[in-house]
Amino acid sequence: MMLENRQVKLIDENGIRVDGRRPDELRPVKIEVGVLDNSDGSAYVEMGRTKIYAAVFGPKEVYPKHLEQPDRAILNCRYHMASFSVDERKPLGMTRREIELSKVIRQALETVVFLEEYPRTMIDIFVEVIQADGGTRTAGITAASLALADAGIAMSDLIAGVAVGKVEGRLVLDINDLEDKYGEADMPVAILPRLNSIVLFQLNGRMTLEEVKQALAMAREGINKIYQLQVEALKRRYSVNQIDEGQ
Amino acid sequence: MYYFSDKEIVVPGQLLTDDPSKSGPGTYVYNGKVYAAQAGLAKLRNGVITIIPVKSPYKPEPGDWVIGVVVDVKPNSVEVDLGGYNFAVIRYSEQMQPPQNVKIGDVVYARVKSSGLKGVLLDADDLRKIEEGIIISISPAHIPRLIGRKGSMINMIKRETGCSITVGRNGLIVVSGPTSEGEFTAISAIRLIASEAHSAGLTDRVAALLKRSKERVSGNDAGEQAG
Repeated sequence: MMLENRQVKLIDENGIRVDGRRPDELRPVKIEVGVLDNSDGSAYVEMGRTKIYAAVFGPKEVYPKHLEQPDRAILNCRYHMASFSVDERKPLGMTRREIELSKVIRQALETVVFLEEYPRTMIDIFVEVIQADGGTRTAGITAASLALADAGIAMSDLIAGVAVGKVEGRLVLDINDLEDKYGEADMPVAILPRLNSIVLFQLNGRMTLEEVKQALAMAREGINKIYQLQVEALKRRYSVNQIDEGQ
Repeated sequence: MYYFSDKEIVVPGQLLTDDPSKSGPGTYVYNGKVYAAQAGLAKLRNGVITIIPVKSPYKPEPGDWVIGVVVDVKPNSVEVDLGGYNFAVIRYSEQMQPPQNVKIGDVVYARVKSSGLKGVLLDADDLRKIEEGIIISISPAHIPRLIGRKGSMINMIKRETGCSITVGRNGLIVVSGPTSEGEFTAISAIRLIASEAHSAGLTDRVAALLKRSKERVSGNDAGEQAG
């Protein structure tokens, strides 16, 4: 196979990764809130070359009507990769992978949103990957939780996520596409930074129990850094656009 | 012990205080501590911490006067879109005609009877159909500013433009006046209030806008007569 012929050196002798990072270093993160005018809430997250928009619509009437819950809201989540987001054009429509990721993102978000505050409604969440370079599900959750907060929806905490990988026997934080493809393991984690509970945890590949524990500790550190940027982005958004207090 | 300063912008999950009795709207209690549940301005109001959300759709309260668009007429109920979470409902007996004989697409001015788990109910008795005018929509949060203290702001606009203005608490407003210039001026004034609702000295700026428009209109009239 082609892949086996390709010799990729993912970590050099000095412990520096393919894109010049140290093993415990995040990619440059850029977060903005309130970027899409026609949505009720939106956010943009950039982690290195991974670029993601998230938009929230609602709470609103439930369609189709039979899904309506008398005591709570339902979340409707769509994770989608744009055709041009990957090297080889991705066909339009939802693939198996996208359907699965929509589900895990929805389940992560359901743990924070106070659904019972909005009975008989539905909240639409769209996560659109504009450019994919690894770690899209975790960046997608990071963006989606900000978009929900921007929409003014009651929630217990923000969510931040990051993926830890294992390449050439070493644990590395925030893996990119190359490290994901040619590495030995990929472990996306999403955590509620304030309440400190894990809402998404997946593992592809092999890691020992000790490595999982160590990877989780690395993820926590990365997540705390991302969380600071999330809070900053939210506050920045509203300090320029102060609201009326007369209500 | 409070962990925020007055009118600080808080984010969901932010710790506000250790005293669970201080939990007010927009906050929640977890493990005996009060956290923010919404993004907004945190404030102590009536002894509890309240979060004024930066934006949120209209939440109906009983007694509010609202403007809505009829979206469906059923055998014993009429559904009205208020721009909130759910459609509001007007109930009536199956033997009777819908109140005011409303049809799909009609705009109604009504009072909220109740709001809760069963949905939003509007009062059928004092329902009024709005026959003409221009509907504009602003954020429900800006409505108190548009009305002003004891209606000072809205009365000024009505007086200066000669328009009748119906204000719904849900953010919809119907403007209807004898002249299109008057209607235009009233709408500009409302838009100005909506875009600068948070700033001080707004009343003076609205008054200046109304005065300018008035002068322009009378100037045009004089010109036409001379020509």
